[in-house]
Amino acid sequence: MDSVSTWSLVSTFIGGLGTLAIFSFLIKENRFYRFFEHLFIGVAAGLGPLLTVRDFLWPQIIEPMRGSNIVVYPDGTLSEAYQPLYLLYIVPMIFGCLYYFIYSRRHSWLATVVIGFSLGASGALAIRGFFAEVIPQLAGSFKPLVVMNAGEIAWGPSINNSIFVVTLLLVLNYFFFTFGKEGSLQGRVAPWGRPLLMVCFGAFFGSTVMARLTLLVERVQFLMGDWFSAVRSVVGLG
Amino acid sequence: MEGRRIIYLLMILAVAVPVLFGVSQQPSRLVSAERMYDVVEGVSVRPGEVAMVWFDFGPGSIAENEPQATVLIEHLFRRRIPVVVISQYQQAEAFLRRIPEEVAARLERENPGQTWRYGEAWVNAGYKPGAAIYIQAMVNTPDVSKFLGRDVSGMPLTSYPAFSSIGGIEGVKMVGEVTSLVGVFDNIIQFFQKSGYRPTVVHGCTSITIPEAYIFLDSGQLNGLLEGIAGAAWYSEVLKKHFPKSDNQRLLVTNTALSMAHLMIILLIIAGNVAPLIGRVLRRMRG
Repeated sequence: MDSVSTWSLVSTFIGGLGTLAIFSFLIKENRFYRFFEHLFIGVAAGLGPLLTVRDFLWPQIIEPMRGSNIVVYPDGTLSEAYQPLYLLYIVPMIFGCLYYFIYSRRHSWLATVVIGFSLGASGALAIRGFFAEVIPQLAGSFKPLVVMNAGEIAWGPSINNSIFVVTLLLVLNYFFFTFGKEGSLQGRVAPWGRPLLMVCFGAFFGSTVMARLTLLVERVQFLMGDWFSAVRSVVGLG
Repeated sequence: MEGRRIIYLLMILAVAVPVLFGVSQQPSRLVSAERMYDVVEGVSVRPGEVAMVWFDFGPGSIAENEPQATVLIEHLFRRRIPVVVISQYQQAEAFLRRIPEEVAARLERENPGQTWRYGEAWVNAGYKPGAAIYIQAMVNTPDVSKFLGRDVSGMPLTSYPAFSSIGGIEGVKMVGEVTSLVGVFDNIIQFFQKSGYRPTVVHGCTSITIPEAYIFLDSGQLNGLLEGIAGAAWYSEVLKKHFPKSDNQRLLVTNTALSMAHLMIILLIIAGNVAPLIGRVLRRMRG
């Protein structure tokens, strides 16, 4: 058996044990479950920094700065010329590192500079993103109530659009908390938004159940297929 | 045994029986999946242009996102559209490697004499931190190949002829986003566009996010949508209709097992409501 398939076998075997450990919570809280829960949190927490350094910081920042990404071909030519401008990356890196002064009582003000910069940049991105996302949706919600197709009313799209527009207006009206008095038309219509919201929450709940069940199906497939084969191999039956 | 444990047992049985016996049913027709198939079919690329597929999912949602990513990659590979696979989510790293490799191997077995090689059919740009900022920077770069830098094996993207001259963002003709994370998906919708250019955007979402994804489909911000496992199953059926050798048996078994689980839930809800009613009637009859 080569090292790749051995490694694959081991990871499948541990994956199955982890799945059974997490499922054991269904019986009751136990140490087996606790151990694998902590293991998963640890792996997830460690993976982020590792991949950030391996896939981004090292190849895209450090190597270009050092020039170690340049390949020297057998004829002595270089894959690309060294760009000293890459050294400017040091400036934002030092600026970002100022964040760690948050742990210093005397110099914590330096961290606030970085936080302020981050807040400003994030705010600008959020505003841009908001308009890019919401404006097309606003435009998309202006639907014609009567859809014509080749001179005739297209009943299907017309009913769809009417349901959409009525739902939109009723739900928007439900969330008017500033004006409109009891007894006014707005006040009387407001409760109609609630059942529509309930339908929406029901759809969300149903789809959540569906997603969770799909996970269960996938795990059962894994346990009965890949893991069972791995176990057979480990005990020498495969 | 407590009642809840009986319910767990029944649910596992409902799921395990179809899986054990490989029971598969024809999936329901999903118009959104068919529309996405047509959208991907309509994407045309010239030399240098690519599709970019973001795998932004981890083990927590592979049940739905992995089959979606698989059918999308299979379709793009069959159409010989060069694909850059990339991620904003570190836990997707293993899938970036595995899924295209498995699809390529399957297609090569299915079509002897044809090859889908790394560097020609696809490249793996790996995990990219920075999310919205990274995408915003990519959109504004004049050379996406140089911007992406190196693939996961350390080779510059410019060293692969099919991926060396993408040019600006206009060279990315289609963007696929397979994720369960709404915020990550929003990054693509909000930032993967520039004045005068927006690529075709398709999305594979988990069942939980279907209601939200529909908003984007309705507004035209999304061109195609795969809804959970059912979307992937129907997409695979459409693929099979056009490419009869395509193997989607495992996906159909998953979809069937899911339907059995739904059926069991419906039966349990009915039983849970009817049993107390019957009990009450019996008590009244006994006086």
